[in-house]
Amino acid sequence: MQLINDKREIGLALTAATLTLLGVNAPLAEAKGKAGEWDIDTAVLFYSETDGRVSAVEPVAEFTRNYDDDRKLTLKAVADALTGASPSGATPSDQAQTFTRPSGKGDYTVSANENPLDNSFHDTRGALSATWSSPLGDDYAYSVGAYGSGEYDYMSLGLNGTISRYLNNKNTTLNAGLSVSADSISPEGGIPVAFSRMALRANKTEEAFQTEFDASRQGSSDNKTLIDVLLGVTQVVNRSTIMQFNYSLSMADGYMTDPFKILSVIDDTPGAGLGTNAIGADGNAIYVYENRPDSRMKHALYWQTRHMLDNGDVIDGSYRFMIDDWGISSHTVDVHYRYMMGKSYLEPHARVYLQSEADFYTRYLTTTEYNGGTPTVTEATADYRLGEMLSGTLGLKWGYHLTEDHEVSVRGEYMKQTSTGDEGIGALATQGLYPDTDAFWLQLGYTF
Amino acid sequence: MQTLSLTQADNPLNRPEPVLLTQGVLRVVRFQAMASPCEVLFAGLDDEQVGVLGRLAARETWRIERALSRYLPDNPIARIHAGRGQRIAIDPELFRLLSYADQCYQMSGGRFDVTSGVLRHAWRFDGSDRLPEQALINSLLTRVGWLRVQYGEDWILLPDGMELDLGGIGKEYAVDRVLLLLLHQLQQWGKTLAEGQFGVLVNFGGDLVCSGPPPDGQAWHVGIEDARRGEVAIQTLSHRHGGLATSGDARRYLVRDGKRYGHILDPRTGWPVEQAPRSVTVAAATCTLAGMMATFAMLHGAEAEVFLQAQKNIQYWIQR
Repeated sequence: MQLINDKREIGLALTAATLTLLGVNAPLAEAKGKAGEWDIDTAVLFYSETDGRVSAVEPVAEFTRNYDDDRKLTLKAVADALTGASPSGATPSDQAQTFTRPSGKGDYTVSANENPLDNSFHDTRGALSATWSSPLGDDYAYSVGAYGSGEYDYMSLGLNGTISRYLNNKNTTLNAGLSVSADSISPEGGIPVAFSRMALRANKTEEAFQTEFDASRQGSSDNKTLIDVLLGVTQVVNRSTIMQFNYSLSMADGYMTDPFKILSVIDDTPGAGLGTNAIGADGNAIYVYENRPDSRMKHALYWQTRHMLDNGDVIDGSYRFMIDDWGISSHTVDVHYRYMMGKSYLEPHARVYLQSEADFYTRYLTTTEYNGGTPTVTEATADYRLGEMLSGTLGLKWGYHLTEDHEVSVRGEYMKQTSTGDEGIGALATQGLYPDTDAFWLQLGYTF
Repeated sequence: MQTLSLTQADNPLNRPEPVLLTQGVLRVVRFQAMASPCEVLFAGLDDEQVGVLGRLAARETWRIERALSRYLPDNPIARIHAGRGQRIAIDPELFRLLSYADQCYQMSGGRFDVTSGVLRHAWRFDGSDRLPEQALINSLLTRVGWLRVQYGEDWILLPDGMELDLGGIGKEYAVDRVLLLLLHQLQQWGKTLAEGQFGVLVNFGGDLVCSGPPPDGQAWHVGIEDARRGEVAIQTLSHRHGGLATSGDARRYLVRDGKRYGHILDPRTGWPVEQAPRSVTVAAATCTLAGMMATFAMLHGAEAEVFLQAQKNIQYWIQR
């Protein structure tokens, strides 16, 4: 074979050609992760809180391009359409309550004994991310990625990178990761001044209202930066068990207050008015904008174990503990069990989440704390997401392999969340301050 | 012993039904295809699973044989031959095989040529001393030449009078495809090789491939015909990884004036490759690769050993 003198080159080329013949383009031998093809994951998530508060439709598409065994590019696109109402933070009352919309344009009224929800909540979000991962010699691998998401009033841009070190014949992997992101928020109506009164239209001219509203704003946008560091180890225990242990540190700096959340000021003067909304000089109830610290440091420990049983079923359990300098600590236990049934599988899922409240969480401010507009507290929020809560989720997923690479799946999950805390003083004690949240997800997925 | 029944559609050539038998801890499914005894050995799987897998194996083998055989009147190869210079539609599998044949042609400098089958009209390797007339060889050579075949993803144009013979690839290809198909089915059942609970070996007349060592970690023991003796003698071979294939047939040769002419033909001259080994056996990652490495070695003639020594990740045995 004079045309090609290097006989080894012939052998290598022959090996490659044979693999092509048998593998890459052959339908039977096609397997996920094969070079030169895109793996595509699509899903649509429908989320609904059972009382109709919030509903969301979230299409997700993920494209992975494999270049060879280990190098790949993953692109992910998510679009969210959220509609509904979310709790504003104000307490319910035995009187109807009127609130100004966050934009300052218009009001909404909540009936007596109803939990105040801000129903102007409507948003669409788009997010894109790209990640490149590749080996680095025999013992290392790295990945780098970029992320961007934008919505009407929020923008987030981030970069991330990880490096992995393989030990013990790749039975042990050490991982280190770093991600940084910069977020900016520019809510309609501007950024509220901390603890300023929500301007209300009743009993005043539109001009007077506007002056008061403007005084409660401090510019149109604000920023925060986030740095996350992750250190982890993944250990193959035996042929059927793999374990992962991670520590992560997250540092956030900047504006972390929710500009749409308020607190009611409740009269704590003993007497008939105890526990009712405090009334200001304009004859309206007093609601103030919340304020949170401008830095937060979180530590989290995460442990996951995945085990394959002799019959091919897979059990996957994880536990996460998080603690931060806002005084919140949380525990998450999550268990999946996958029953293999030939071409299909059934995967029940259970999750329990327990969280303690932030140091500055309070269901309301008292007139003493409000102190006539010069609050004695520097931070306060009534956002239930920072309060004490317990939530449980039960789910079931069914997946069917049409072929090795094509999978359809349906996932349904039901979550019940209960919050607890201070039950209120005087008249307020008769109100339900901590309504449960029930939510239902349905996700349809198609992977090909 | 039990027979595995297949539908008419799955057994288009009306072959005897495969049989399933137990040999110690192994289960074996045997059937006939491609002029060879075919067997698939299973370890760590029960009768029910092996029944399903055995049917799949026979069905796939017969499907490939039916698609690629040049002896059948109504198959893609026959239609291509009947096309007489017209474009004929082909399926993706045939396109992949043609692309592979094309690469092998290029890499061998024109010595591996799937259009060289017409030369068999001149050569009868029956152990006699009857060499063909050069005039006959010359006339047949006008019908040989891969570069005159045009093809695309879904069509082929074979010039009138030429023949396409994928027999040099088909059997080894079938061996690998059957293994891939069985592993695919096992994976559907949630069984993966990483578990080390099962093993499969596919052996079509000594061209074979296995999924890895059997669960006990030892080797597979396969009886193969010993080509070196030039007679029907069986020897046992131990095999643990990948594929194994043999090129050459010690019984097919001519001898004239003390010179031995083996049956491997050089399509450029129409004559047997000079100083080719009697047989070359190669162990490589897959059966197809082993078979093609062995074929290339044969085509290297006197340099067969040099060619094989230059390769990585193979083992070989040469009989001269």
